[in-house]
Amino acid sequence: MLRKLQELIRKEMLVLLREKQTLPLLFFMPAALIFFLSLALQGVYLDKFAGRQIMLVIENETPGPKSTLLEKKIASHRLVQRVGRPPGYSNDQLFESGKAHGVILIPRGFEEGQKPVQMEFDPVLDAGYKSATRALITSLTAEVVMGIDDIEAMTSNFIVEKTKPNMTFPGPLQNAVPGWSIFAMFFIAIPMSIGFLREKQDGTLQRLFTYPVSVHVVILGKLIPYYLINLIQFALMLLVGVGVMPFFIKFPFTLGAHPWHLVPITLVAAAASTGFGVLVAATAKAPEQSSALAATSAVLMAVFGGIMVPPVLMPVFMKKLAMLSPMYWAHQAYLDVFMRHAALNSIVPKLAVLMLFASVCFYIAGRKVKWM
Amino acid sequence: MKALEISQVTFAYDQNETAGFALRDFSMVVQAGEMHALVGPNGAGKTTLMKLITGQLRGCRGDIKIYGRRSDDPVALSAIGYAPQPVSVFPSLSAWENLRVFGVMAGLADRVLKERAMAVLEATGLLPYAKKRTSTYSGGMLRRLNLAVALLHSPRLLLLDEPTVGVDPQSRNNIYETLNALNAQGVAVVLCTHIMDEAQRMCSKLTLLDRGEMIFSGEMREIPDLEKFFLEKTGRSLRDDS
Repeated sequence: MLRKLQELIRKEMLVLLREKQTLPLLFFMPAALIFFLSLALQGVYLDKFAGRQIMLVIENETPGPKSTLLEKKIASHRLVQRVGRPPGYSNDQLFESGKAHGVILIPRGFEEGQKPVQMEFDPVLDAGYKSATRALITSLTAEVVMGIDDIEAMTSNFIVEKTKPNMTFPGPLQNAVPGWSIFAMFFIAIPMSIGFLREKQDGTLQRLFTYPVSVHVVILGKLIPYYLINLIQFALMLLVGVGVMPFFIKFPFTLGAHPWHLVPITLVAAAASTGFGVLVAATAKAPEQSSALAATSAVLMAVFGGIMVPPVLMPVFMKKLAMLSPMYWAHQAYLDVFMRHAALNSIVPKLAVLMLFASVCFYIAGRKVKWM
Repeated sequence: MKALEISQVTFAYDQNETAGFALRDFSMVVQAGEMHALVGPNGAGKTTLMKLITGQLRGCRGDIKIYGRRSDDPVALSAIGYAPQPVSVFPSLSAWENLRVFGVMAGLADRVLKERAMAVLEATGLLPYAKKRTSTYSGGMLRRLNLAVALLHSPRLLLLDEPTVGVDPQSRNNIYETLNALNAQGVAVVLCTHIMDEAQRMCSKLTLLDRGEMIFSGEMREIPDLEKFFLEKTGRSLRDDS
């Protein structure tokens, strides 16, 4: 029995690897997605982590002691990049040309408390930046008006920030490496279902059953190769993240405090993606249909599951929807390891959801599949 | 000795049997060393019968025995060599790799498998192309490989479903010669074909099947013109059902 199983696995691997589209689909596609999307999103992530400097035109109409101090405080703040107004540019022209995000005017009469500081922002500026700048200008103005040297130092006894760095928002590689690996793992459904349906169409599958070979051996001979390829896919993508991407991107990719937890997660995620492949193979009636079904389902699961957009950026409704996707649970389990240094017992519930998904897929496929 | 004994077999694809029977009370005996033609119009039940014998279909009433063993016995399955009507080989594998897969499934040991693979490739004229992927083969080469796979494990009962359909005269001749040689060694052959001339020339026994029922069984030598006999027994109306 073992020899027959070995031979069927060998046959499946040969058939799979000789298909021209398999290697690009299963290995080059996720590697390219990790590479290009991490590079493309690097700027966005830099803003999220380091805080983008806002370009401000600061104009002071009455150089008195208070207004000069306020001008200096604003201009020297680490979040502010002071820019000059090109001759003849109105505020609208400044914003349209992208030369400034906002204009701060310290008006005549500020010294006497007769006129407030005026702020005007580029209308398309991110609301978060707008509100952060408004808060910054307010606190600096309060310092100057009330004669306080450093309001942050003064309030440090009352407010303490204890957020661990990078613990809630994944870096571009932390998000992309597991995300696109999972995405590619679910794409295994395409060659798996096409192979199964082609063998049914050309009669080779039925021919196997004319020999004294058990149906369980044939099933295992079909499943094991794809399961192994899933494991290889993840290992290779991890290598890309750890060994290749640091040469191209400013963000490090660390495996977290418990890298061995990746093993059970990957074993279970591979079971879920193989189960999905079996379900597609059992449901579709022709190879062309299975290919479309597998690709569409995998892309939708990736969209909803937080692979393409991190769930932390999603609205509440979408975050709830994300939980319907098995990719979400696999992705979150990986992020637990990479970012949250989670203990195994806090990952287990996510693995249980993935196992449930795999079991349901195998069960439905078992009921639907027609071998002959 | 009976190589194949089919007794009162009834089978319907629909479990409730509302769509009619694919086979009804069908019986047939093939003796060891006999070359037996199984003929009938399209949809007569020939392929269904082949699938029942080879265990691809289950759930029939009646009995199917291969050399005295029930057809669901693994030993009985090992005695059968089956060449299905569609060429059923893996197109991205070479002939050699295909033979390896099916040889292992048949339980052949490595050394025997190599010897037998060489022998069947030689017999079917495919030895020079053994390492080429079968997707590059012509129709005739594929048909011969289909037969080579069936012969690989030295079966004692050979079931051939349309083995010469769509092949050139050279390939057809090669297949006939191979079958004659096997038959001379005592292998029982069931030849399922639409080519009446082929059935008449190759076979000593005939079973005529129509609409799932056996309508004639006897000696081929008693029939002077099989084509005429066939049309007389089954009628001249077109059979478009598969």
